[in-house]
Amino acid sequence: MTTFTESALTFLDARRDAPSRAQAWDAFSTLGLPTTVDEVWRYAPLKELNLEEFPLAPRGELPIFSPFATALASRAGLVLHVVDGFLRGVRGAIDGVRVEATEAHWSPRYESDAFAQLNCALTPATISVSVADGVHAAPPIVIVNTTTTGASFPQTLITLGRSSQASVVEYLEGGMAALVVPLTEYVIGDDASLTMSTYQRLDATAWHIARSTGRLGRDARLSQAVISIGAHYNRSRNDAEFLGTGGENELRTTFLGSHDQVHDFRTRQYHVAPRTRSTLLSKGAVADRSRSVYTGLIEIEKGAKRTDARQTNHNLLLSPHAHADSVPNLDIRENDVMCAHASSVGPLDELQRWYLESRGVSRPDAERLMIQGFFYEMLATLPRNLADVVEADLSATLGQVEIVTP
Amino acid sequence: MSTLNIAGLRVEVAGKEVLKGFDLTMASGEVHVIMGPNGSGKSTLAHAIAGHPGYRVLAGSVTIDGVELLDLSPTERTRHGLFLALQHPMEVPGVRPRDLLVAAGASPEGLTERMTLEAQRVELRPEVLERFVNVDLSGGERKRAEMVQLAILQPKFAMLDEIDSGLDVDALGAVARRLREATAQWNCGVLAITHFRRLLNELIPTKIHVVSEGRVVATGGPELAEVLEKDGYEPFRGATT
Repeated sequence: MTTFTESALTFLDARRDAPSRAQAWDAFSTLGLPTTVDEVWRYAPLKELNLEEFPLAPRGELPIFSPFATALASRAGLVLHVVDGFLRGVRGAIDGVRVEATEAHWSPRYESDAFAQLNCALTPATISVSVADGVHAAPPIVIVNTTTTGASFPQTLITLGRSSQASVVEYLEGGMAALVVPLTEYVIGDDASLTMSTYQRLDATAWHIARSTGRLGRDARLSQAVISIGAHYNRSRNDAEFLGTGGENELRTTFLGSHDQVHDFRTRQYHVAPRTRSTLLSKGAVADRSRSVYTGLIEIEKGAKRTDARQTNHNLLLSPHAHADSVPNLDIRENDVMCAHASSVGPLDELQRWYLESRGVSRPDAERLMIQGFFYEMLATLPRNLADVVEADLSATLGQVEIVTP
Repeated sequence: MSTLNIAGLRVEVAGKEVLKGFDLTMASGEVHVIMGPNGSGKSTLAHAIAGHPGYRVLAGSVTIDGVELLDLSPTERTRHGLFLALQHPMEVPGVRPRDLLVAAGASPEGLTERMTLEAQRVELRPEVLERFVNVDLSGGERKRAEMVQLAILQPKFAMLDEIDSGLDVDALGAVARRLREATAQWNCGVLAITHFRRLLNELIPTKIHVVSEGRVVATGGPELAEVLEKDGYEPFRGATT
């Protein structure tokens, strides 16, 4: 069997004319894979990860959509089908929205991130969706991201021109015994607004190590939801950089952990410009022997006056063997700011449950409604016509989770 | 025709005995009003019967048509025909009223339409019922929303804890009218707990029970309300029936 390194070297050999790939590969080779000694990876089961077992996924046969992906796609104005990072199909069109696959992109911000370097070296292409200045793309754009097997490195760039608006839903499926390392950037122009929802539903054996960065211009708005159900190890890092005055980022991250899953969420809200606002809500539920960690960093530069940054993290324990950690961090170099964070970890609220029971709802149904509700609250960014299908899919999944109340 | 029978009910809250042998019998279609000063045990009665986790039953019995409710889970008590409308209905974020009602056993067929109709009957904006249960609703809206649940679930007996507090005159009228109609519509028995007399102007009681220190100390017809109006609860304190 081909090892990861062999397949990567063959891939790079065919792309010798792309210096940034060689640079990224060299950087990765120097860095090596992180270990749990590294603070930012301390919760990851990296000892179990043998990179050489994941040869690079080639451009293979075109897999068909799952019924769920079909349901999402049928409600969209524009559908991209991405398979192992290859753009394999574009369906529909929206005036002023351009889709293309361009040569891979690299940024100095990934310097110390081994997985991001791998992505920059080995992604088939940057899949770019750009919305022209002033365009309001009303129908949702759906990106179906299918993973087959082996290692894949999807790279996505969503660019919103000045005063434009768009709503994008990204859905990840497949990935049996796969390693998926997506790298995404949202570049939001002045006065533009992006509503971005990511629904991760990979196979329970997959490794998912994702990173996204929003770069917000003046009065730009990024309203983002990340909903994670799948993967054996789910790493989801979502950053926002506030480069222009008045930018606003609302981020909701949520997860359901079951079996021995690990959900590892990190965020960094980097306030550079004044009067910028970040609101972060992280909510998750852990069942069985699953674990979660949420590490949120708010960083405020000198001069980012009147920054308003808030973090809230609520975790629901559905089993006495599950575990959730919450690690808020503040790094503030400006005095004139408003910062707040709150977190909680606990079982379902007993009185809310009693209230439902006193209406005639059975205890198991009451608990399912409440857990489902815990997630429904997080779906506010989804376009209405897509929220219904996601809700139905979520509640079907929740129906399979065992709830053990203390 | 059904009978609700409460006999010798003793209940403890936070280590203190609050109900000290409560007795009451009522039939379908009747309206009984329990009145008493603050701290007399009125709300304890409602919560204990509905199986609230903070209340511990020490002794006694609560039956509907001979079935002992106290041996049942809160869910089964309600499914046997008992419904409690709360003074402070709880917010349940993320749960929609419609989903709650379906899980509670309401038929999904035409349910949204029935909910809209019932909301209109108690002058509640129907769009409120598309949001999450009681989230961001005013006190008055929550009580009207409880009336919608009641009307959909059509229990044999409805217990209403301080249904009149926090309601303006119009809202009180709408809620009381709905309860009167319920007694006619499905022969619902209504057990209303209050310490305000004004509810009685809207809801004509079959019987009034005065509660003091955890027991019923007087039972009578609507005329009892006039005695309360004139002399207050003082003459009933420490009295026994």
